[in-house]
Amino acid sequence: MFRLSIASAIALSIGAAAHGETFRWASTTDPQSMDPHAVSSTPVLSFLNNVYEGLVRRGKDMSVEPALATEWAPIGNGEGWRFTLRQGVVFHDGATFNADDVIFSYERASSDASDVASWFAPVSEVIKVDEYTVDFMTTDPNPIFPDSIANWMIMDSDWAAANGAKLPAKEAENFATLNANGTGAFVLAQRQPGLKTTLTPHDDWWGEAEHNITSAEFTPIQNPATAVAALLSGDVDLINPVPIQDAARLAQSDGVQVIQGIEARVIMLGFPHAAETLKYTAQAGQPNPFLDVRVRQAVAHAVNVPAILQTIMRGNAEPAWQLVSAPMRGYIDNLEERPAYDVQMAKDLLAEAGYENGFSFGLKCTNDRYLNDESVCQAVVSMLAQIGLTAELDAMPVRNYWPELRSNNMDMFLLGWSPGTFDAEHPIRFIVATDNPEKKLGSWNFGGYSSARIDELLPQIQSEIDDTKRMEMLEEVTRIYQDEVAYVPLYVQPLIWGARDTVSLTQRPDDFLILRWIRIE
Amino acid sequence: MIAFILRRVFQSVIVLLIVGLVAFSMFRFVGDPIENMLGQERTQADVDRLRTQLGLDQPFIVQYLKFLGNAAQGNFGVSYRQGRPVATILAERAPATLELAAVSGTLAVLVGIGMGVFTAIRRNGVASNVIMSLSLVGVSLPTFLIGILLIYLFSVELDLLPSFGRGDTVMVGGWSTGFLTKSGLLALILPSITLGLYQMTLIMRLVRSEMLEVLRQDYIRFARARGLPERVVNFRHALKNTLVPVITVTGLQVGSIIAFAIITETVFQWPGVGLLFINAIQFVDIPVMAAYLMLISVMFVAINLIVDLLYFAIDPRLRIDGRH
Amino acid sequence: MTDFPQPDAVKQAQDPGRMSRLWASDFAYAFRRSPVAIGATAVVLVLVLAAIFAPLIAPHDPFNPATLNLMNGFTPPGTPNAFTGDTFWLGTDDQGRDVFSTILYGLRISLFVGFSAVLLALIIGVTLGLIAGYAGGWAETIIMRVADVQLTFPAILVAMLIFGVAKGITPPEYRNQMAIWVLIIAIGLSDWVQFARVVRGATLVEKNKEYVQAARLIGRTGPAIMLRHILPNVLSPVLVIATISLALAIIAEATLSFLGVGAPPTQPSLGTLIRIGQGFLFSGEWWILLFPSITLLALALAVNLMGDWLRDALNPRLK
Repeated sequence: MFRLSIASAIALSIGAAAHGETFRWASTTDPQSMDPHAVSSTPVLSFLNNVYEGLVRRGKDMSVEPALATEWAPIGNGEGWRFTLRQGVVFHDGATFNADDVIFSYERASSDASDVASWFAPVSEVIKVDEYTVDFMTTDPNPIFPDSIANWMIMDSDWAAANGAKLPAKEAENFATLNANGTGAFVLAQRQPGLKTTLTPHDDWWGEAEHNITSAEFTPIQNPATAVAALLSGDVDLINPVPIQDAARLAQSDGVQVIQGIEARVIMLGFPHAAETLKYTAQAGQPNPFLDVRVRQAVAHAVNVPAILQTIMRGNAEPAWQLVSAPMRGYIDNLEERPAYDVQMAKDLLAEAGYENGFSFGLKCTNDRYLNDESVCQAVVSMLAQIGLTAELDAMPVRNYWPELRSNNMDMFLLGWSPGTFDAEHPIRFIVATDNPEKKLGSWNFGGYSSARIDELLPQIQSEIDDTKRMEMLEEVTRIYQDEVAYVPLYVQPLIWGARDTVSLTQRPDDFLILRWIRIE
Repeated sequence: MIAFILRRVFQSVIVLLIVGLVAFSMFRFVGDPIENMLGQERTQADVDRLRTQLGLDQPFIVQYLKFLGNAAQGNFGVSYRQGRPVATILAERAPATLELAAVSGTLAVLVGIGMGVFTAIRRNGVASNVIMSLSLVGVSLPTFLIGILLIYLFSVELDLLPSFGRGDTVMVGGWSTGFLTKSGLLALILPSITLGLYQMTLIMRLVRSEMLEVLRQDYIRFARARGLPERVVNFRHALKNTLVPVITVTGLQVGSIIAFAIITETVFQWPGVGLLFINAIQFVDIPVMAAYLMLISVMFVAINLIVDLLYFAIDPRLRIDGRH
Repeated sequence: MTDFPQPDAVKQAQDPGRMSRLWASDFAYAFRRSPVAIGATAVVLVLVLAAIFAPLIAPHDPFNPATLNLMNGFTPPGTPNAFTGDTFWLGTDDQGRDVFSTILYGLRISLFVGFSAVLLALIIGVTLGLIAGYAGGWAETIIMRVADVQLTFPAILVAMLIFGVAKGITPPEYRNQMAIWVLIIAIGLSDWVQFARVVRGATLVEKNKEYVQAARLIGRTGPAIMLRHILPNVLSPVLVIATISLALAIIAEATLSFLGVGAPPTQPSLGTLIRIGQGFLFSGEWWILLFPSITLLALALAVNLMGDWLRDALNPRLK
């Protein structure tokens, strides 16, 4: 309490001294922890990217660029990766950064208590070569390893030890839950969970400051309408996200700009590929029609994606037919577009499959996870009704949703997937590969889709160093899941931020707000 | 008297324990907390390990007894979401809710009594009828809509008042108060109107009908006949006699102010315990939900008891059966 | 949601014999003399009839997804349907549903939930109130202690908890149909206390009156006495509370919808429509929020005014 009060007094005086360059922003969820290894969620990683840094980081175009490592190169024939560390970097508390901090952060982040341990699953050993050189040995050749650790953040080993935070804590409080000591461009000045978190610039940061912020304040605002009001009335400088329906109106308002981009997240419909029977409506217990690929194709043709994009998404989203969006690594350029909206063809396909009279089933959907998810599902219901399929919609909060899907309580479901590695391999590993807990594959493949050929190709893709060969294999996988309509990808979710006119910034497709790119005029 | 209090406290504790048990049996229907605690790339082994660690693999009765045992020692556990002790979190958040409740409660009582007296005295006046009807508009729309409309009007269109939050707060001995800064006071206006509107209407109508009753009493007629000024009759004689039921109802309303704070706090992003509770539901933060429910139950029972005792003190005739 | 003033309702129950007489003469006379009462009753009647005959009045069936066309979404009021040429007098919502039709159907659900919840609360409350008042002893202690806790325990919290459990224990295939019934039970269960308290208070007064003593002497049983003799004499405060509870129940349903525990979006109630509509407050599609809100306001206001008038009219002391 006492600590907080001093911090708030400081924050107040800073705010008063240089109000013009205080940047206030709001988002729906508060980052629940200041510990970069305790929670692997976008709000946390996005926020902490301003405070902590990794060996590598993503630039404005998502490409990987040097951060705490100045260069890196594969060792031998893919036995691992060697990172050369940057010299002269200091943590916020003044301690110097070196290889010990990297080793320590590796041990911390790959421990059982960490939520990001899976990033290090391919790593067999980490070796300190000298004060500024570290080798990461991998069990198999791993071409995307540097990419996959872009959000792995380095913590000072002495600071963690001195404050009893050598391991991330999930079930108990820990010094690192509320405090931070990174090398990043901003220092955590004040942390009031759920209320306000204040950052101030790190004076001894190694990089060149592009921003002109003297203080940055984050507040969670849960109710979307309240957030829009806060932006319009100038109570905050930036909100993320802007409700899609408000984007056009906001863009026309005085003093406000809307920044749009394509997010990494692809929204799709999934099917129960392994279920013998339907589970919902009067037809529960009847054979599962979705086992027939023609029925799945019919669904793909029946959903009028352009209409969804035009009305519900207000022209702010792009149609999708692959499981990753175009800016991602491994997106296949020369494949055909998504199947055309064609009611007649859908009806013909259904008739061919023996369902000319349609059937009824249950559609599971979230109502608080993806942008306008409930509206989209409602629209899908009415579009499927046009071809004689009666979908009973069960929309629920995400806290109930995953348990339902895990228990196979669905006949069709909505799913959004954002590839954490920004690579096409990611969705294949998690939602296309056959479910295999031992190999940690297919852990989100709720529908139980299975293709022997894809399962065979996946390990090869994971260890292929030659990019051309890798792309060929990715293309084959993509063709297979498209031909078999494993999923019906609908669109790529848009990123919409709203900001005051005085703010200039860069929006990254992973929805991270990078403060060091922000300038206020 | 003491026997009465003891009996009431004992009965209340039993009811509280049952409320707690029912609440605990329901948490598993709210959702699975594990889903929110682990990232996209977790494995089933991670899930199982965490479930065991949190004791969620045990029957809810066991979980409940554990919770009670710890709560009896003042330990409400650790929030699943924030990883911090629930007691600390509640202590941080309580001032916001209590200040909001205090302001809206005061507003409701003052304005409610004032308008109640006015409408009773001018029973058939045009102004009273307008006030009576308008007051019903306030309770004929859901609170969240009123809040959003107020924000739209006063923050966005007129740009007079802040749209969200508490403004700047000052720490006074561990209590964060918004009463001492200008932005803190401005931030209180819209949420407290939103929250107090219903109670204001309620109190106004109660005062009016009680006043109408009292004004017909013989002693008021005598007072008038004796030539006492109207103001003295209305306020010194009549109003005084309407206050007992007003106090009771107002006391009972404290509970519903705290409860409705959930909605007001959500709309205005007011960082109090109501918003905390809504967040706890969203993230299936069982320790926070449990502590919140227990805390407000205890508070409500205490309010109830105080109201009963007040009755006891004011009206000896009621000693036989608590209320009515 | 909480109790509107009971003291006069209770006191009023102490003059039981008057009610029937009032109904015959003064009551009807007072009604004819009050433009507010006539107006409010008319509004309620119109809305109830509109809800009952919604399938006949509504130009579209918004609950039938096959008739919807997403490309009709966000049509402003008074604009013709691009496909059929019918005019959407009140515009369309995000799904291309005719707002006028959704309001009519939503009204239906809101009124159904409201009436049923109040009926449930009334049955539970009156029964428990009679038992508590008449039987006394431990039955009374239990009932009234539970009532105390329930009364102070916020109704929306009770409703949220009940909703959570009911959703949990309902087999998934019935959940959509269940939502409405769960709402009714949740709101009804959170609202019975006022009935119980008022009825108990009145019963305590009645049971010592001579006519009840007499009934007991001629060998009438407890339940018979409660139903035949006491119940008719406590009906007028119950009627007043029921009216006000109806308005509260309809608003409560809307509030629960905002908290995410309302009617499903494919079969929206007025509350769900407002919850959906508030998302369009800033985007310029004002009609999606405005028209359902006005309807809800008109309904709740009229019911409240009726309740208000009833309370004054049935209270002999205010004559």
